Amino acid sequence: MLNDIRQYPARLSGNLQRSGRRLCIWLLLLLSFSAVADEPLQVTVQDAFINVHNGAGRGYPIFHVVERGEVINLLKMRTDWIKIETSRGITGWIKRSDIFLTLGPDGKVPEFRDTERKDYLTDRFELGAAIGDFDGADALHVNLGYRFTKNLSSELRLSQNRGAFADSDIVAIAILHQAFPEWRVSPFVGIGAGRLKTMPSATLIQTEDRTDDMLQANIGIYTHITRGFFMRIELSNDYILTSRNTNQEVNEWKVGFSVFF
Amino acid sequence: MESRFQRVFLVALLLGLLSASLSATAADKRATSEDGELDKIITPDLERRSIKESDLDSENFEFGLFYGLFSVEDFGTNEVQGVTFAYHISENLFAEAAYGLSTLQKTSYELLSGSVQLLTDEERDLTYYNLSLGYNILPGQVYISDKWHFDTSIYLIAGAGNTHFADKNYSTYNLGGGLRFYATDWLSLDLSMRNYAFTHELFGIGKKTNNLEGRLGLSVYF
Repeated sequence: MLNDIRQYPARLSGNLQRSGRRLCIWLLLLLSFSAVADEPLQVTVQDAFINVHNGAGRGYPIFHVVERGEVINLLKMRTDWIKIETSRGITGWIKRSDIFLTLGPDGKVPEFRDTERKDYLTDRFELGAAIGDFDGADALHVNLGYRFTKNLSSELRLSQNRGAFADSDIVAIAILHQAFPEWRVSPFVGIGAGRLKTMPSATLIQTEDRTDDMLQANIGIYTHITRGFFMRIELSNDYILTSRNTNQEVNEWKVGFSVFF
Repeated sequence: MESRFQRVFLVALLLGLLSASLSATAADKRATSEDGELDKIITPDLERRSIKESDLDSENFEFGLFYGLFSVEDFGTNEVQGVTFAYHISENLFAEAAYGLSTLQKTSYELLSGSVQLLTDEERDLTYYNLSLGYNILPGQVYISDKWHFDTSIYLIAGAGNTHFADKNYSTYNLGGGLRFYATDWLSLDLSMRNYAFTHELFGIGKKTNNLEGRLGLSVYF
């Protein structure tokens, strides 16, 4: 009870801060991704001690330790760091992985995902962005994917190519297959189909915009960096079904990153 | 007169005491009745809450507004404003999308010749967007007093995007760096520089330009 009273001002200021922040976000974005729990999330330290840093990064000095049996409040998480508050009102940051050295009120280790790749195989959606080269033109790509199984996924691709003689946009859908999704460096193959809209530079070539169908074949690799974050390198062979007599073949490469969620 | 005031005060005091004692007894009654009920109920075990990652508020997204000066080769130094949206992947890496707006000035040729106009007013509106990857290369802290410190971070950033002006799109690569100052966990000030490189053919031949931007921004994390 006494403890509760002592914690009250800290909790109150925490609440005020939280509501202030929420207000800001609501004003700025009109939507909030944060689900702020009203009651504090309390865990009990189960290791000999956990280091508390004064900033969310490994280089920041350790200014405090929480010992076995000490109850700490979890306040928020930023990348791989968790902000905590001790019963004496000291706030600081602990490593995300140190959460596995604590127990929740139910006597179990908190359910936090490991930062290993395998823990992100269950995430369904992928959002990626890449830069590349499309037949000499600078290309920008974004893709949104959906995983049916851990091996098979589909994706929507949007590309924008800016060339010396023509600009072009590509919209395509594709199916990707990863044979070894649990590998840190995991290869994939894919096939896709889409539309290519070409807009020749008006000053150079007097032609109209044209739209052609295209087919794509891809190979590439995903490299796991941290949590749901991957680097993606890809080679694509595009076959453009033109209205002219001959079809056109273009090789493009892309390098970018993807987030699974 | 005095006695009248006294009477008014006394009545007010009496009324106050009466209402206070009434509410107190009411509260007592409520308390005793609750206790009575509680005694009858077998108290269940305390709720044993399990802690999940989703219960904890994570702040990996950043939304920012910025204002600065953008020097566009041949078109003067102009005000620029824009928005940024970033996702912090790890303590070192972040991905950022940016959108900026600016207006170009007349080239010196246009000014000197007097009558020549290369671009219409509409074509002088410049917009750009880009996707970049940043790296917090020098994380640090500044110490104001014994108990007061702020986190800072010097970062490098590079990416690609698009610049639109003169009714045309130019593929643009950007490279830059900046200093981020965290006023609180969720609010930061950003002082940064960017260089935007693109090639345009407005003067007949392809011209590679490097365009510097200095800006000051404010970001919230959520």
